[in-house]
Amino acid sequence: MAYSRLNVSWALVTPAIGFLCLATFVPIAAVVALSFVDFNIAFPGKTTFIGIYNYTRFLSDGRFINAAFVTFALVVMPVALQLLCGLALALALKEKLIGTRWMRAASLLPSVVPPAVGGIVWKLFVIPGVGGLSYFASFFGHNFDADLLGGKASALATVIIVSVWFGVPIVALLLLSSLDSIPGEIYEAASLDGASWAQAQRYISIPLVLPAMGAVAVFQALEVLGIFPVIFVLTGGGPAGATEPLNFYAFLTAFTYLDLDYAASILVAFTATIVGACFWFVRRISAGRVGG
Amino acid sequence: MHRDLGRYIYGYVICAAFALFLFSPILWTLSTSLKQPTEMFQWPPVIVGEPSIQHYTAIIADKDFSSALINSIVVSCSTIVVTMALSVPAAFGISHLQKTSMRRLLTLVLALRAAPAMIYIIPYFLFFRQVDLVDTKIALIIVNTMFAIPLAIWYLSSFFDQVPREIEEAAIIDGASTLQVMTLISIPIARSGILATAILVFIGSWNEFLFALTLTRDNAKTAAVAILNFMPFEGTDWGKAAAACVLMLVPIVVFVPFVKKYVAGSTTTGSVKG
Repeated sequence: MAYSRLNVSWALVTPAIGFLCLATFVPIAAVVALSFVDFNIAFPGKTTFIGIYNYTRFLSDGRFINAAFVTFALVVMPVALQLLCGLALALALKEKLIGTRWMRAASLLPSVVPPAVGGIVWKLFVIPGVGGLSYFASFFGHNFDADLLGGKASALATVIIVSVWFGVPIVALLLLSSLDSIPGEIYEAASLDGASWAQAQRYISIPLVLPAMGAVAVFQALEVLGIFPVIFVLTGGGPAGATEPLNFYAFLTAFTYLDLDYAASILVAFTATIVGACFWFVRRISAGRVGG
Repeated sequence: MHRDLGRYIYGYVICAAFALFLFSPILWTLSTSLKQPTEMFQWPPVIVGEPSIQHYTAIIADKDFSSALINSIVVSCSTIVVTMALSVPAAFGISHLQKTSMRRLLTLVLALRAAPAMIYIIPYFLFFRQVDLVDTKIALIIVNTMFAIPLAIWYLSSFFDQVPREIEEAAIIDGASTLQVMTLISIPIARSGILATAILVFIGSWNEFLFALTLTRDNAKTAAVAILNFMPFEGTDWGKAAAACVLMLVPIVVFVPFVKKYVAGSTTTGSVKG
């Protein structure tokens, strides 16, 4: 080893990694343990082991089942739309046309907005009749005054769109860096063969960026439920639970209803499912790459 | 192909459409924050009438919000200090480990970030309640540091990887200790990367909402949560809420240009998730 003379003592690495492991594994072990006991925050001495009882409660809890469906919708729809819109934007940004280069940097803005601020910004934007949306609709001669957050389907659609708003810039940036790494010669060769710009995108850019999209999808699937603050501010999970994913339901169960052990079991199930699904997907795409 | 009209039509139409989608809500907030109360709910809505900074002066004078703003600054800066104090040596160390142990450690660091932040909320709440640290800045600094370390180590170790090994080895031959190599050679060379990492840590801490919401009451409330003061159950004061949003965005807009290369990775590997 060329660098063996530099005596790296584990003392440099241990404090950070030690703190990280302590601050990560202990709490996760605690949550798992909590999900198997009957725990009342007012009488912590009376904690008793109840096995998988909390997990059996899922089956008869209509609100849990609803939240599971909402979780599915709030992962699949936003990620799919983010990939689609992100690809569309990345293909446009790749061209570096005059007057669009600033978009490369500026389009990042929504992704770094504090999520709570994003929630307020959108709530203000969709106020029925007098919000920004109504203002823009008035340009097209529309008198738009629907209460988007009032109906179940429209509230869910609004949350999905806000989720896309947060995620598209990141997805576009990741796909753009993948597009930028495609050698220019390929496009030149296609051009000499008489391919139009649209054909070059269809037969060169999109197929070559496709493998990167799988990894981006996994990142975003883990990321997308981070819009908890947005839901908290925008809809509060309503109307009638239409925008209440499992992490939001668990939060309310823990801190509004103080049913901490049940909340812990929801979180364990939720985390295991999300992380498990992502690992399965990662293994699938990496296996596909080896095979193909 | 470069003369192809389709390329221009597609590029400009898509950029315009996304500019409208991505920026209009924020511009609308900016415009609301500058409106007179009478213009706020006017039909048809207006973008700017007679701009006024009355909402800004009102929220700065609001003791709750201004102290929350100070809390946010204190918590975010302390998080930077603690995170960097732990992560810089760790990243330097990892970057000089043998390939296999280095990869193993980095994978561990990344894997720890896969779990959604919500899983930590109950144990942290119970722990800080037990040790009487609920509603203190210390609790928030600990939590934010925990979320920032993986991101910081990930970036810092790649920056230390770029420091030329020949310079470090020359110093060793001249008799420098490992610690001297780190502080006198590698850190100065990697300083722009370290600065970028510090900014990313700041943004993560500044934006953090979930733990600030559950672990604070009055004393340690940060601005990301105090902003909800302007949105009580009935009768949101939209002028003030919008002005508070704009103030929250100021450091983000100032800092992000310096780190735009790294932002994509940071939100996917490091920042606090719900």
